[in-house]
Amino acid sequence: MPDAPKRPEPAPDPKLLEILVCPLTKTTLDYDAARQELISRAARLAYPIRDGIPIMLPDEARKLDAD
Amino acid sequence: MTDQARLFDRPLLRRRRDRFAAKFRHHDFLFAHCAEEIAGRLQAVLHEFPLCLDLGAHRGDLGRAVSALPNIGQVIYGELSEVLARHCPSPAVVCDEECLPFADASLDLVVSGLSLHHVNDLPGALIQIRRALKPDGLFLAAMLGGATLSELREALLIAESEEGGASPRVAPFADIREAGALLQRSGFALPVADTESLTVSYRSLRDLLNEIRGMGAANVLLERKRAPLLRRTLNRAEAIYRERFGLSDGRIPATFEIVYLSGWSPAPGQQKPLRPGSAQHRLADALHTEESAAGDKAGFPRRKLDKEE
Repeated sequence: MPDAPKRPEPAPDPKLLEILVCPLTKTTLDYDAARQELISRAARLAYPIRDGIPIMLPDEARKLDAD
Repeated sequence: MTDQARLFDRPLLRRRRDRFAAKFRHHDFLFAHCAEEIAGRLQAVLHEFPLCLDLGAHRGDLGRAVSALPNIGQVIYGELSEVLARHCPSPAVVCDEECLPFADASLDLVVSGLSLHHVNDLPGALIQIRRALKPDGLFLAAMLGGATLSELREALLIAESEEGGASPRVAPFADIREAGALLQRSGFALPVADTESLTVSYRSLRDLLNEIRGMGAANVLLERKRAPLLRRTLNRAEAIYRERFGLSDGRIPATFEIVYLSGWSPAPGQQKPLRPGSAQHRLADALHTEESAAGDKAGFPRRKLDKEE
């Protein structure tokens, strides 16, 4: 059976993005719309957004390489 | 925080909630009850709350009840389990009560229904909630209190100790007096804690345990025995349960104590207790009684305190 056509990722709520901070450092986050991630530069973590739901758990975040 | 001070296995709680999300509908009567109660209390508050967070939202029932009120604007659903968060209305966010992802002074109202009793660091969580609230923001929560499942706790403890070793099977829940003091220590103004006791009856111990699991509330204590309860122990516990608490119709009762917490984020111009000694009227006048000086206690041997001259 062919795969169902992929729905476009729903965008996270702008009001929600406005008030979210990194749970570890409480610093502001950068929204990467292409990768659907919220980047915490202070904690060097990228929190995933799945189906428009930000997953704000350090365990689930992608570690960013040191520059 | 050190591991010794941690009571609850939060990753396990998350996995349990993920796994039981589909069944939760059949076991959510306590959550529905608290949602109705909290919405009722909010309705009586003459205050507008443009942005609200339902913290530990499960399937979002509390948030839905709250968002139907005329004085509530947008509701954000925060839940530890991603599977449950997907059942919530939008916008939802997966977050841990112990490590909140909300900016300081960003929310007007935080409500929470039966979730905070699984937090290891309740003072820490309360402080984070208070900080996330705008000045004059309100926190209103229900959590399970100390008398919850006291019958089950007793029956299991006796059954297991007869076999030569009891392990914690039922979580220690917050005491109402502690909860009120914690609110104050966390910096909330006008803190109030009150409690309600619900007794639910079940056909059997198995039915009760199924219900607790279905709520996603099964034992997540770090110190729990990894081995499941043996059928023999369970049968013995059920016999003890029936003997001590059994109802005349053959069912067994289970107590759920719900502790309601409320507190305001401090703001200038907010109602405050008066400074001691600033009273304009005498209490004795209001009570139509004679005022006597402090220290004149009945039967107190006063003369011994007098200085000898």
